[in-house]
Amino acid sequence: MWNVVKSVLAAFFGVQKERRRQEDFTHGEPIKFIVVGILLAAVLVILIAMIALTAAG
Amino acid sequence: MRAMLAWVTGMGVSWLLAPAALANGWNMPKGVTEISRDIYSLHMTIFWICVVIGVVVFAVMFYSLFRYRRSQGAKADNFHEHTTVEVLWTTIPLLILVGMALPATATLQRMYDPSGADLDVMVTGQQWRWHYEYMDEGVSFTSSMSTPTSQISGEEARGENYLLDVDNPLVLPVDQKVRFLLTSDDVIHSWWVPELAVKQDAVPGFVNENWVRIEEPGIYRGQCTELCGKDHAFMPVVVHAMEQDEYDEWLAERKAEAEAEANSVDREWEMDELMERGEQVYGSVCATCHQQDGSGSGQFPALAGNDQMLDDVDWHKDVVVNGVSGTPMAAFGGSLSAVEVAAVITYERNAWDNDTGDVVQPSEIQEMLE
Repeated sequence: MWNVVKSVLAAFFGVQKERRRQEDFTHGEPIKFIVVGILLAAVLVILIAMIALTAAG
Repeated sequence: MRAMLAWVTGMGVSWLLAPAALANGWNMPKGVTEISRDIYSLHMTIFWICVVIGVVVFAVMFYSLFRYRRSQGAKADNFHEHTTVEVLWTTIPLLILVGMALPATATLQRMYDPSGADLDVMVTGQQWRWHYEYMDEGVSFTSSMSTPTSQISGEEARGENYLLDVDNPLVLPVDQKVRFLLTSDDVIHSWWVPELAVKQDAVPGFVNENWVRIEEPGIYRGQCTELCGKDHAFMPVVVHAMEQDEYDEWLAERKAEAEAEANSVDREWEMDELMERGEQVYGSVCATCHQQDGSGSGQFPALAGNDQMLDDVDWHKDVVVNGVSGTPMAAFGGSLSAVEVAAVITYERNAWDNDTGDVVQPSEIQEMLE
């Protein structure tokens, strides 16, 4: 599971090792990546909203 | 060595040319408000960041092109991914962008804070002039371009402020926070004065806000900057910033004029005074479409010898006060005073051989407006 999170974060950043990419495409089911992706996207949105609200005072 | 020389020359030329181009009127003005200076320094900071990035990127590129050229036996190195380099070229631009976004956002926040204003001015765009209303002061007027048509057609030499002169400039006090409430009567216009760093859309049905605190007295010019039809190029903005006491004097005069006009609505007006006033209003408001000689142009009907208008004075009054929906004819009941409307109708019914002898009294128009 931790590997899935790391791969999703790498995708957010836009850089991934080729070896890890091969692993992701040979092990596990796609549904894991989709669910973790949606959850982490929500976290990102909340994080940005919090920063914006704090900055706006 | 030669690559080195090319690089040094390139750097030298760009550093020499850039300030020269900037000094030559190509750059945005520093302006006369704190916000405008902030915007200017943001612009220059970001400009120089871009210059440095451009010089570094192109220097590396041209050096590589030259150093590793095929005639010298260079062979391409075939590799796939390089995680460290990829992380670097993602992180560095991210940091640069965030570094630019922080001060830019801080400036935007201050631009969008019109609270605590000393003076409110309603700015209304109309095809093709601006209408200014000093809220709570009872003073309002239209501001139309005053550049003569002979200069536009080329019969006369262009004046100093060609297309940037108006009959009634917006007068503002310096060192006061002035809030603008911008809207439009017809299509989208945009009120732009570069020296004040204000460029704000005037949208029908919406009220946009912006503000200035002008630090130096002077005359600042701008233009409508949202394509709004045939005479878009002919609706300049002129702001005359004055010291407070001078402004107070000006405002007192305009107030006295407005009061005198309001008091004169009920009295009987003479033909001559209506004609004189009407000619002035016609030239400022009507002539852009219906032409100075009332001959009309294109979709704008001629008023000279217009039978429908001449036979039916009530229809004529209705058209001027309420406009004609579905046509560019605007409703002037809101932006012109009863005296101005009565005068311009009287003028249109008697100028250019229309000679009906009709006199329309301001009191009749006042009744329609109530």
